[in-house]
Amino acid sequence: MSTAEMSVVEPSWTWRRASVPLAVGGAVVGLALVGWLTTPEFVTYRNFQSIVRSAALIGIIAVTMTGITMAGSFFSLSVSQTAAMAAIGFAAFMSWGWPVWAAVLLTFIIAAAVGATQGGAVALGGNPIVVTLAVGAVLFGLGAWLTDNKTVRTGTDAADWIGTSRPLGVPTQTWAFVVITVIAATVLARARFGRELTLVGANRLAAAASGLRPGRTTVYVFTVSSLGAALAGIFTASQFGQGRLDQFDGADIDSIAAILVGGAAIQGGEGSAMRTAVGAVFIAGLQNLMVLRGFSFGVRILFVGLAILVSVSAFTVLRNRRQLT
Amino acid sequence: MRAIQRVEPTAWARLVLFVAVFLIFSWRDDRFFSTNNVFTIFEGFAFLGLASLAVGVTIIAGELDLSVGSAAAVSGIIAVSVVEEIGLVPTVLLAILIGTAYGSLQGYLVYRLRIQSLVFTLGTLIGLRGLAFIISGENTVVMKNLEIAHTVRRQLWIFSPFSLVTLACFVLVALLLINTRFGREIYAIGGGRQEAAAAGVPLVRPLVLAFAISGAMAAVTGALTSIKSGSAGPAAFETLLLPAATAALIGGVSLLGGRGSVFGIAIGALTLRFINSGLSLGGAPFYILTLATGIVLIVAVVLELLIGRPELRARWRRWRNEGGLGLRPRHQTAS
Repeated sequence: MSTAEMSVVEPSWTWRRASVPLAVGGAVVGLALVGWLTTPEFVTYRNFQSIVRSAALIGIIAVTMTGITMAGSFFSLSVSQTAAMAAIGFAAFMSWGWPVWAAVLLTFIIAAAVGATQGGAVALGGNPIVVTLAVGAVLFGLGAWLTDNKTVRTGTDAADWIGTSRPLGVPTQTWAFVVITVIAATVLARARFGRELTLVGANRLAAAASGLRPGRTTVYVFTVSSLGAALAGIFTASQFGQGRLDQFDGADIDSIAAILVGGAAIQGGEGSAMRTAVGAVFIAGLQNLMVLRGFSFGVRILFVGLAILVSVSAFTVLRNRRQLT
Repeated sequence: MRAIQRVEPTAWARLVLFVAVFLIFSWRDDRFFSTNNVFTIFEGFAFLGLASLAVGVTIIAGELDLSVGSAAAVSGIIAVSVVEEIGLVPTVLLAILIGTAYGSLQGYLVYRLRIQSLVFTLGTLIGLRGLAFIISGENTVVMKNLEIAHTVRRQLWIFSPFSLVTLACFVLVALLLINTRFGREIYAIGGGRQEAAAAGVPLVRPLVLAFAISGAMAAVTGALTSIKSGSAGPAAFETLLLPAATAALIGGVSLLGGRGSVFGIAIGALTLRFINSGLSLGGAPFYILTLATGIVLIVAVVLELLIGRPELRARWRRWRNEGGLGLRPRHQTAS
């Protein structure tokens, strides 16, 4: 136990360890500065609120997916289909006249099963990218088959409050994003489970040798990610009163982008839920600023892509340098 | 001879699968074997084959190029915009040139920054999609003169110019991978990066080559598919990665890198086309094709797991010997 853990223990604060968080923070400050200098309405509390609101759903998916990346299983490419299936399922359960709690519960149970299955396949040695790509395709196909590729309406306003109410003037989605980020950050950084999955991601063999069970950890992280996607699906279904298969197109790429901009190491063993949340807000803020400046859709996507390229390249160079010194 | 050595033992299993799928569908539907349908299959193969080749070569090099769909979209828009002015052959050559240049740069940056291609190509996947929207003005680009579109898809027995170009690309890439030092280096760095570096393989050459092939093949797919349909949309080819990766994997390309062949990728793409073509003849809607592709990919992953992990097979055998579900008499293990 001790030797394996010794190798990942470093002093709690060093410049080397702080380089990635500092870079993430610097990017956010830089964006805020550029926004403040060029576009006065960018740096208002109202606009900040709308940025966080627009980041919320992707943020929830990304924060709950961070565990997968940290545990060394790259990402999940099936979260958009999982979220869409959850939205469809939830809408269907509501339309059958079920109580809200039952619809939510069953949606979560199904999502957990889907996530655990993928985690199990990855734990047995399946490549996470390919496994989740395949499961995403099957979910899409099944969803289209079951719904005849049509929109499913809830047909009731019993669940509308989940997606539309604003406790203390803040939308429920933003509340969920903040609460989930705080919980995930605490669990990943402080709790035993978070420490274990960090070690599994940093060195799977060492983790297994020191008595941890990497396979079980993998199943858990995929389950959590699937639950996060399902929550996003429930929010959307209850907000619009309907579930549609293409509602979450591109959500997987966007949430992976948030994780990467947040500086999680793709090899695993390093990352933070808080930084992923910052990454999601950063991308949403960048989009928001470009919308305010009147940039066209294509230019906005191009800049988001460039932001990802620059940040992942910078993080990789920082990490490589760190290993050399 | 070398070509035969590259075909791994399990290739026979895939060949059997391929023939079986073919026979099942041709037996169930006599239209399946008609010249027209074989022509259609080859057209689909032309579309899918080059994309699988693009993804497959990077997987063999131990990397993964996620950006093929976006690269194909950009190439398609450029091709449709210029083909009426400069003609078909120069357009295809231009696509190859741009694709190769883009791929080489991407490969060089992956080498230079020592970055995981999975992460880097995710950035280019998004960035190029944005570029596609910019250069197309966010609209579908349409050709006025559909003569050229007809030229690309004109039926010559079971082939068309499109599928002939595809076959030529396959032969060229196969020759490149098997007969040149650079090509064999792709296998070396895919099979064992550190061992290859220790043996003196310079990483930069095979990485640039693998991504250059990937970029070029994606560009040709995008250009010819778009010209064939006479239009190119900025959101096109978004779901290209799924069938491309599926075809490469059922064609025997190992996700661990270093294993796989161009011939296998061709078989994989044809098998997937047979399945899709058979289902389409049966009148299945498009999402059933996605469902089928996903299931095929899962089966491929499970098979690779079973083949790649002897201890799983041993555990299965032990479980069976211990009585399994208890439905059969217990076997005595020879001691």
